[in-house]
Amino acid sequence: MRLKTFERLLHRPPGFLLLLFLLPLLASCGREPVYESQSYVFGTLVDITIYGESEERARELSGHVLQQFQRLHEQLHAWQSGSKLDNLNQAFAAGKSTSVSPELAGMLADATRLSEQSGGLFNPAIGHLIQVWGFQSDEFKPVEPDPEEVEKWVAANPQMRDIVIVDGYAQSRNPAVRLDFGGYAKGWALDYAARYLHEQRVAGALVNIGGNIIAIGTRGDRPWRVGIQHPRGAGAIASVDLPDGWAIGTSGDYQRYFERDGRRYCHIIDPRTGQPAQGAQAVSILVPAGARAGTLSDTASKPIFIDHEHWREEAREMGMEHVMFIDAHGTIHLTAAMRQRLKFTDEHTPLDVVP
Amino acid sequence: MSFPKPLAGDWLVLIIATVIVAALFATLWHNEQAGKVRIRAGDAVFATLSLAQKRILDVPGPLGISRVEIDQGRVRVASDPGRHQYCVKQGWLTRVGEVAMCLPNQVSVELLGEGKAYDSLNY
Repeated sequence: MRLKTFERLLHRPPGFLLLLFLLPLLASCGREPVYESQSYVFGTLVDITIYGESEERARELSGHVLQQFQRLHEQLHAWQSGSKLDNLNQAFAAGKSTSVSPELAGMLADATRLSEQSGGLFNPAIGHLIQVWGFQSDEFKPVEPDPEEVEKWVAANPQMRDIVIVDGYAQSRNPAVRLDFGGYAKGWALDYAARYLHEQRVAGALVNIGGNIIAIGTRGDRPWRVGIQHPRGAGAIASVDLPDGWAIGTSGDYQRYFERDGRRYCHIIDPRTGQPAQGAQAVSILVPAGARAGTLSDTASKPIFIDHEHWREEAREMGMEHVMFIDAHGTIHLTAAMRQRLKFTDEHTPLDVVP
Repeated sequence: MSFPKPLAGDWLVLIIATVIVAALFATLWHNEQAGKVRIRAGDAVFATLSLAQKRILDVPGPLGISRVEIDQGRVRVASDPGRHQYCVKQGWLTRVGEVAMCLPNQVSVELLGEGKAYDSLNY
């Protein structure tokens, strides 16, 4: 009986064969509409993942975002002569006033507010110190800076509030101000990307600039999920779901550093001492949705990283509720709100949870 | 239009074909789940390869050659022209989602596979 049915199928080949040919198509239906692009901008890796768009549109969208990133990178490059920021720094050093675009003026004003809020621990005006420590280079080498020179730039006390902007012209009251927007530029770029992709009504996107990530929408029927790199291991120490508009940022001693005489010197400089911050492996923060989530994901983690002995207070100062601090011994301290959101790779990881 | 009744040979061909397809499915599909490595150079994918092999690849970048070694289920950057060697010091990558980046040379190695625990890595 069954054999007969099958024979009948064979006798009606067009439909049967058609089915056979359609089977592989079913398999491709199961493949998810995820587009991934990877580039190098801001001297680091930029990953853009777009969900739920045709490949053509996803390529267009990420191409536009990357172009803008490249434009920002060229404008804000801290040590390439001829960049807008370099011109500005030259003018500051010479005590001259120079025109700034509305975009750059907005960044200067925003960075000044954040710097004040952090009590000067986030300070993009210390470009000279960063240069002295050799971190203004893609291929920096271990250096032993002249203590007198470090002392000189600390004493000169360059601050963001030294910059005055009047009618589109900027000037610095302190010639020691040298801007290095490093992470701030990346955070600002994340906000730009999120705004643009939201406007374009993208179903879902995840933008990662050198480790700082912002989520747009969802990945289909689930939220975007992000891993947090273990500061001393190969993989992720934990993972977290990022709701629409949320951002995550980490300040760590493991991405840009050099070792000298067995000691680690990382790229985050304490403006109070002029020395690379010591004693913290990483500070990760989650920033809820808002117009500046990306910017905050970079800037708000720095004061906590630098003044980690008072990490909980610094987090409050910066308005951050979701914070994880990993100290020099690898002990994990985190806020209760952060604990709720993180899923640790090793469930038995000992945690110091602070309200 | 009608087709002739199938003969014994036709059945034989059908059965053999089914067995071959099933065998291919079992072997090839299984390997895909065992995990892959994606190697990127600059903005482009340099190669996406099965981890189930022993192989050494020389990946060119702006500074020179980054050497990637695949060894039966794991992968590492064996050498890199960059100064800091972060990606080399990372050692063997074994878990899905792990990434090694050789930044100035713009070479990255990422483990792909089923059950990736996250979409992107914060660092």
